[in-house]
Amino acid sequence: MLLNPLTFYSPTSLSEALTLYRNLGEVRLLAGGTFLLNSLKLLKKKRIKTPQNVISLKRIKELKEICADQETLTIGSMTVINDLFNSPFLTDNFAILRTVCRNISTQPIRNMATVGGNLTCRYTWTEMPAVMIGLEADLHFMGSQGQSQIISAEEFFRNAAKTDKILTHVTIKKDKKATLAYRRVKKSPYVDIPLLSVFVKTYFTKDRFTNTRVVVNNCVAFAQRDRVLEDFLNQSPCSNGIAQEALGHLNQAIYQTRSSDYKQQMFRVSIKSAIEELIQNRNPSH
Amino acid sequence: MATLIINNQKYELNLKGHETLLEVLRDHLGLTGTKTACEESECGTCTVNRNGKAILSCITLACAVEGEAITTIEGLAKEEILHPLQQAFLDYGAVQCGFCIPGMIMAAKALLDKNPEPTREEIDYALDGNLCRCGGYPKILEAVWQAGREMKKDQELREITEPLELSEALSAKQPQMFL
Repeated sequence: MLLNPLTFYSPTSLSEALTLYRNLGEVRLLAGGTFLLNSLKLLKKKRIKTPQNVISLKRIKELKEICADQETLTIGSMTVINDLFNSPFLTDNFAILRTVCRNISTQPIRNMATVGGNLTCRYTWTEMPAVMIGLEADLHFMGSQGQSQIISAEEFFRNAAKTDKILTHVTIKKDKKATLAYRRVKKSPYVDIPLLSVFVKTYFTKDRFTNTRVVVNNCVAFAQRDRVLEDFLNQSPCSNGIAQEALGHLNQAIYQTRSSDYKQQMFRVSIKSAIEELIQNRNPSH
Repeated sequence: MATLIINNQKYELNLKGHETLLEVLRDHLGLTGTKTACEESECGTCTVNRNGKAILSCITLACAVEGEAITTIEGLAKEEILHPLQQAFLDYGAVQCGFCIPGMIMAAKALLDKNPEPTREEIDYALDGNLCRCGGYPKILEAVWQAGREMKKDQELREITEPLELSEALSAKQPQMFL
């Protein structure tokens, strides 16, 4: 027996799920299961008490929709990673999501894991947080009493991804002017644990970086912005040497959190490479 | 009672909420072709197909796949005739200890059913969740590629030998000159 006994619920509507969530004690929400089930197994091995009830959100169709209008992309929280990867809506600044999805773990995991699970599992090694902060996404929650709440991805992860509500969907504004780059380093080609990810967004105005966002995820802390680096880039011209120079302007407090030297070096390599890509994509002749 | 559809066969089961699909397949139904190894979603030996897509049965609750089409390695051969993937794995010596092979084949099947002519990169990508401790990857990848060719041939042969239904024939795309 891999898991401790539990009662499984599979509501077919959000309202039913919210009612269950409100009324059941010791409950966990099940999205794709790739994080939760492994966690429950680990807790069992360590003889730590596990929740008695699991509510699967899988049969709730309203949480699975991906749609886009002129301005906004909406991703249902139960959208499977591979479904997002294959979505025809990933154009303009949303195309970076395809790169992110493609690099998540392994094929079976990408067939199971969901966007909502990736964002709300409170596991610091996940991939979506950095890109969602970078794209200035809003997370839409529904409370057990039916009250809705919208919170920016940045604020959500600043509060360590704590919530007692159900994430229903994510919205991202379309942005044709931004230039984006994403880097991710994994532990090995096969045991796919992301060690770090870097997301950089900027706008080039008169040969200068403006409104730059640099978001990093370093596996021991939730994704966060490196505002020191952002400030440096925002005062800088777009020149060939700027990527190297930027490495002297990192917020060291972010990168030193329990990370070993080689990981700090990987951050430097990834950030430099991402900035170089931004410059290259702005003007291929560079 | 819950109904699981496994290899096109319906099973009425009294499932417990905590039972994984892997446990149900092996312990309740005796379908031991699906292997159990790491039990924490890292090795891919427990791969089965759900609605044509590869998933890991060790992190899937059996209750959560009620009514969905599950295919295991036992569902591939048709009586005495092996699936082209199984045949290719034999023909190309892709099996060493064999423990990872059911998972490899199920992951490969999900790929080839959609794309029987994958590139080497596409095969690598589709099988990236399946580990082989024997390190027999080159022959495994070759077998998958060859199986794809066989499946493509079979598909083409079927299209030639099986006459189209009238409605299909009428709706088939015609060359512009005949319109």
